[in-house]
This record gives sequence, C-alpha cells and structure tokens, in this order.
Amino acid sequence: MVPPAGPGVFTAKPLGRDSFKLIVAGHAFTSRGEIEKYLAYRCARLTVEKGGQWFTLKEDRGTGEMAVPVPVRDPEGARYSFRMNYFRPVWRYKVNGSEEWRRWSPFAGAPFPLADSKSVSDFEVSAEIVVRKGPMDDADPLAFEAWALSDLLVNQVSPPK
Amino acid sequence: MSKSTLKFCCIALLTVAGAQAAPWVKGYVVAFYEPAYRFGGRADYSRGTEIEPGVDCPRGSTVHFAVPKQVAQSLSLVRWRSPKEVEEIANPPATGLSRDPAGVYFHTWRAASAFRGYNREIETYINPFAAEDPGQPQVTSRIGEGFNLDGKVKPGDFVSPDGEKGIDNQLYRAWGCDAPWRGANGNGTLVLRSNDKMVEGLYTIVLRISGNKDPMNDDDVTVEIGYSPDQIVKDARGNVGVDYSYRLLHSQQYSKLKARVKDGVVETEQADIHMPQIAWFENQTRDAFFRQGKIRVAPNADGTAAGLVGGYRDFRDLYTQNAFAQSGGVQGVREHEDHVALYYALRRNADGMFNPKTGRYDGISSAYRMKLVPVFVVEPERPMDIPSRVSEARRRQAFDLTAGATIKAVDTLVVQAVPSGSGELTATDGIEIGVGGVPIRGRGGRGSRGNPVADEKAKGPSGRP
Repeated sequence: MVPPAGPGVFTAKPLGRDSFKLIVAGHAFTSRGEIEKYLAYRCARLTVEKGGQWFTLKEDRGTGEMAVPVPVRDPEGARYSFRMNYFRPVWRYKVNGSEEWRRWSPFAGAPFPLADSKSVSDFEVSAEIVVRKGPMDDADPLAFEAWALSDLLVNQVSPPK
Repeated sequence: MSKSTLKFCCIALLTVAGAQAAPWVKGYVVAFYEPAYRFGGRADYSRGTEIEPGVDCPRGSTVHFAVPKQVAQSLSLVRWRSPKEVEEIANPPATGLSRDPAGVYFHTWRAASAFRGYNREIETYINPFAAEDPGQPQVTSRIGEGFNLDGKVKPGDFVSPDGEKGIDNQLYRAWGCDAPWRGANGNGTLVLRSNDKMVEGLYTIVLRISGNKDPMNDDDVTVEIGYSPDQIVKDARGNVGVDYSYRLLHSQQYSKLKARVKDGVVETEQADIHMPQIAWFENQTRDAFFRQGKIRVAPNADGTAAGLVGGYRDFRDLYTQNAFAQSGGVQGVREHEDHVALYYALRRNADGMFNPKTGRYDGISSAYRMKLVPVFVVEPERPMDIPSRVSEARRRQAFDLTAGATIKAVDTLVVQAVPSGSGELTATDGIEIGVGGVPIRGRGGRGSRGNPVADEKAKGPSGRP
C-alpha cells in the first residue's frame, strides 16, 4: 500500500544489537506531519522486520533542549498502544540555497521553522529506536506497538521526494 | 420427560447402585453470567461503581465520554479538528439540537465519537485501526480468576485467589477497568443488564454433568454445556427456581467435554467450547467460541455451584459484540467506554490464536463466572435448532452487516463504509449522524426501526418543535 522510497530517502543504521537510527531525507518538503508519519511508519515496519513487537523511541535532546518536559511513566494511568504526540523526531534542513545544515529540535521550545516549502532545499528527520520483543511496556509514553502503529499509518503515508 | 419422572430416575440410580460405582448425573441452569473480573474497589464509595479506585484499577473505572475534559482529550487526537472545534464539541451549547441539556451532550458526543479517523470521512467504530489510541486504564493488580491455558507461568499472568500461578485472563487485564463491566458483586451496569435480560428470557444456558463412579471423585465424567430453548423459571421470591426441567439443544452453541471430579470439583479437559455468549439484546445472542477452553464447577453447600469457563476468544467477536448491539457512539456515551481504546487494549493484550499469516495473535485469554442452580437437564423430544425471532430479524441483520464490515476492515486494513442497513449512523431520538460526526435532525427514526415516542418526547410536552 505504501510506495517504495526512492534512493537515499530512507536509511536505517544499526547502532547496537537492537538499536537503530532511522533517517528520512528529501528535497521536496510537504509538511512536518506527513514526513514524521512516514518516519514513524518505517520505525514500525523495521521493528516487525527485526522480529520485534514494539519499539521505544530514544529522544534526541541536545544540550539545553529541555523546554519541553521529558515524558514520565504513569503506571496507574491509561495504557496505550502508541502515542503519536510523543513521536518527536529531530530535524535538519537547508534553506534559501545555503549549504549549511540547521537543526530543529522539538524539545528546544522554538516553533517549527519550515513553513515555506519552496525555500527548503534539503531536509532530514531522524529517530533512534530500540526494537523490543515480548509483552509491551504500555505505561512507557515512548513505547510504540509496531503493528498498531503500522495499521494506523499504512493508508496515510508515502515517501517524500 | 416430566420433572417428577426424571427426579425419580436420578434418585433411583443413585440409591440402587450405591456411591461406589454407579452412573450419576447433575444438571444446572446458569443463573448469573459475567466476565471473571475481580473488583478491587470500595463497596461503600459514594458514587457506586462509576469511578471508585481500587487495587484492580488505581484511578477507578473508565470515564470516556463522561466529562467534557475527557472528551476534549480524546478528540484532540483527531488531527483534522481544530482546538476550537474540539472545545466546542466537548462543551456544546445548550441551545443546540435538543432542549434537554443531557441530550445535547449525548448527541453531540456520540456523533463526534463516530468520526475520529485520519480523515473526516472515516467512521471510527467500523474502522477502529484508523483512529489514534485514546488510552485505556488497565488492571494493575496480580490476582485474577481463570485458567492456566498455556501451561506456562509468565510475567503478565495472574495468580488465582487460591494461589495458582500462570492464570491467563488478559481480557481482565485489558477490559477490567471498563466502566460497565466493573463493580462489586456483579453490579456493573452491563453485568446487571445482561443478567436481567437472561433471567427474563433472552437466552438460557444449561450444564449437564454425568459420570460413572462416585460424584465426588470420578475420572470418567462428561460435561455438556449449551443453549436451552426453555426460559428460566423463577420462584415466588424472584430467584431462579430449583429443580425445573430444561431441554439442552445439540446446536451450534453446544459442547461435550471429558472431565474428572476431584473432591467434588469438576474440571474438564482443554478443548474448544461452544456455548451462548453474554448478551443484552437479541441481536447479540450468538456462540461464544472458547478455543483451548476449560470449565470448572465447584459445588456449594446449598446445592448450587460456582462455574468458571475460560479459553481464548477471537478479539473481533469480543469487539463487535460489545460495540454494535446498539451503535458504537450510543454505547460509548451511555456506558462511558471508548471502543477505540477497547480495540487497542484487546489487540495489545492478545495472547492466543496465533495467526502465522499475519504474525499476530487473534485471540485473548478470558474467563467468565457462572452461578449455577440445580435443575434437570433433558433432551428435546425431537432434534431442534435455536429458535429465531422474526421480529428481531432486522436488528440481527444490522448487527451482522456492521460486524462484517468491521471484520473486513481490521483484517484487510481497507477502510470500510457504513453498510446500508447498519444501525451505526441511524437516528437516535430523531438525531442522525452525518459524515464528519455532525449531529443532524433526521427523519425520526431510532436504530433501524424508528421510535416515534422518543421523537414526540424530544419535541417537548406540547408537541411543538
């Protein structure tokens, strides 16, 4: 249902036995939501391909990027298969013909900078995940059940260009 | 066969052959039937079973579609709705569709709840996978009733009240905090409702236990369970009567299992079990199919018995049974439950019926309690099937259409439209649901049949619009 990605659009780099860094890159920026959903879908599919049932997202917080609180476990609260509000990957982008990569973190407190798609020449959005097996830790806000997330997104996403 | 003849035969058999090695038979009718959830709250809490916390559910029962804050939280996950829109739906003005303020909330919320997919065209209850997970409080305690169905002791398993480890009852884990099923001594709203309906004649379940040795210790026992066409008979005090006769049909909702008795407690082999499922409307009366199921019957001193049936049930059966007796929105707002949250909780906790094609579990371990009253269980004079009620055919078809579309949706992940004839978006109290979750004054129907009385009521005492 999801078209294949073009060359260089998606990469998954192993960081350890069950850890991976996934990057979605492109030149034609559409919207933050669309591209992040595609990355989330790829995280879910990679988890399934590696024999896992769920994954945890490792938040990429740079120095001082604490304007947004770190999500905390609530063992007595509601349990979830996934919480898209906590799927918060970090962006890199180039604008206005510049060769310089700029970083945008969802944790720094600044608004998302890419409103004008025409000015964006390159972008990368990345997530570091740990693939997990067995019963899901559904009290962890950064835990995502792979099949449930994939089911939600399979009809919604397509790779950027 | 008459009641007195049967009674005589049983007494004669037991008396003549003695207790050592003689055929024996016991019959029971199910007088109370509920999911084996273990309530951990305070029975004296001022708001009854609605929200009290307990060791099972530390924050109490679910409050989905009960308060504006919760509604706003759920609808904030719908990406095509603006924050302003969410706020307006969560707190609808009392000058809207109905003069009854409760009706304003009810109709606005049930309509909005039915459209929470990733675009505004998708009906949510038929396509629950297409909406974000609103979250479901789950049971956090360790004690639970049921059976060790897989023979293993795993970290998420329960410990039985008797101390047996490895109890598989993930349905309790997933749905044990769901408001209509949670309460002390079976007083959850849907527990009460379904049992009222059963005792009033919606359906009847009977058990027959027969052996060849000693009724207290016998390794050659047969347990039969299934649907009876005979309505439950009550005594002068309104309790389920003792010693009446009931026919047991060898229908789709019938099972025969090998069992043994030890110190009076009957326990069956592990096998597939067919029997009636819990229902509170006729259109839900169907087979409860327990895979790798078991039945246990423990006698009480007064002649009654405590029954437990467990096994893996298909998540699609459980979801559709709970959601579509009326419609997902009506059920959700009235009972303070959210079927999207229940859907995700079922799939997240599924632990049986592994599907090698998909690599996922299609079943969830479950257990149900039964209070059993001694009766005579007899064969029908001639073979017969479960009778159908012509007057309910239309509602039954509506249920089948809706459930069929849902199963197709979750199996294929292809979004399904609301089938023609489904009750999902039809009028309740004269108000239909439009695409995008818009409540609209309809043609005055209720469900698939119409309800002119409710429409007149909605117009006010003078009958003016």
